[in-house]
Amino acid sequence: MTIKFIRSFYLKVAILLAFALAAGLWYSAPGRAAEKAPAKILDPTDPNSILYLDTSGKLAGTGDPNKPASLFYRAGQGWHPKALAESTLPKDKYGLINWVESVKTNMIRPRASIDPKEEEMPPMELDIIIEAKSDYVNDVKYPHWIHTYWLKCEICHDTKGGAMFIPQKGANNMSMLGIGEGKWCGRCHGKVSFPLADCLRCHTVPKGAKK
Amino acid sequence: MRGKASLLGALLLAAITAVPALTAGAGAPAVLKLDDKIESMKRAGVGPVNFPHARHEKLYKCADCHPKIFKEKVNTSDISMKKNMEGKACGTAKCHDSIKAFPLFQCVKCHTNVKAAR
Repeated sequence: MTIKFIRSFYLKVAILLAFALAAGLWYSAPGRAAEKAPAKILDPTDPNSILYLDTSGKLAGTGDPNKPASLFYRAGQGWHPKALAESTLPKDKYGLINWVESVKTNMIRPRASIDPKEEEMPPMELDIIIEAKSDYVNDVKYPHWIHTYWLKCEICHDTKGGAMFIPQKGANNMSMLGIGEGKWCGRCHGKVSFPLADCLRCHTVPKGAKK
Repeated sequence: MRGKASLLGALLLAAITAVPALTAGAGAPAVLKLDDKIESMKRAGVGPVNFPHARHEKLYKCADCHPKIFKEKVNTSDISMKKNMEGKACGTAKCHDSIKAFPLFQCVKCHTNVKAAR
């Protein structure tokens, strides 16, 4: 009776130990570690990859990277918002893609023009300090650099229907009220460029900080 | 019988409406005039802010704002657009820097007598 009990007891312990060892080995296996942390890289060979969605969100991929996805191709190789959101591009505080940061960190290098013959104008290095009228609001440091990186001078200074900005210091009596209503900076910001609500992206110079 | 029931209903309705009115925002006027920085406001081309306290009472509890974000006496919290823009005072990430409320650049939504260029 006693011998039988010991035998079964040791057997039980041995079985338990064996199970624990097997579980431990399975848990620490290299394959499992990889499946625990999914890679953030998009797999172009996966037919369900969001890179293979067209601009209307429909599946457009063939799953074969050697055969271009025809529908996607015809859609002008449009960037799907979901694919953009999943990308590793830098984002602002609202989760929108920070295009300025993407350019400054060389994450993207857009072409100057579709026309290869067109000559690229180098961006202009000139910061303009726009004084805020309130005593409590930071002044604005307007960088010509990033604006001339994306745009031509005429877009702002020789706009159809009257210049958006007169190229002379103090000639533009700007206000946040007008900007919010779509004048001056509000022609683009909040529509195609970062929103006006992101105040401190422009209002960067504290009062009294400049000469 | 019917008269009694309607009377009871009216009393109940009165009680329901009176209780929150008595407990929440006791003593606060419906609209607060914020004008401690009136000189700067004038230079910026805007007038004082008429803060609708009653409207905010309906949406939030007293402790959501008081005393952490705003002091309880009017014009003592040193509110400025700079603070709002830095995510303090009105411009916290849960309030006027979120999709729940209108954004800070819509001057006329708070400021009265706006005469800025447009």
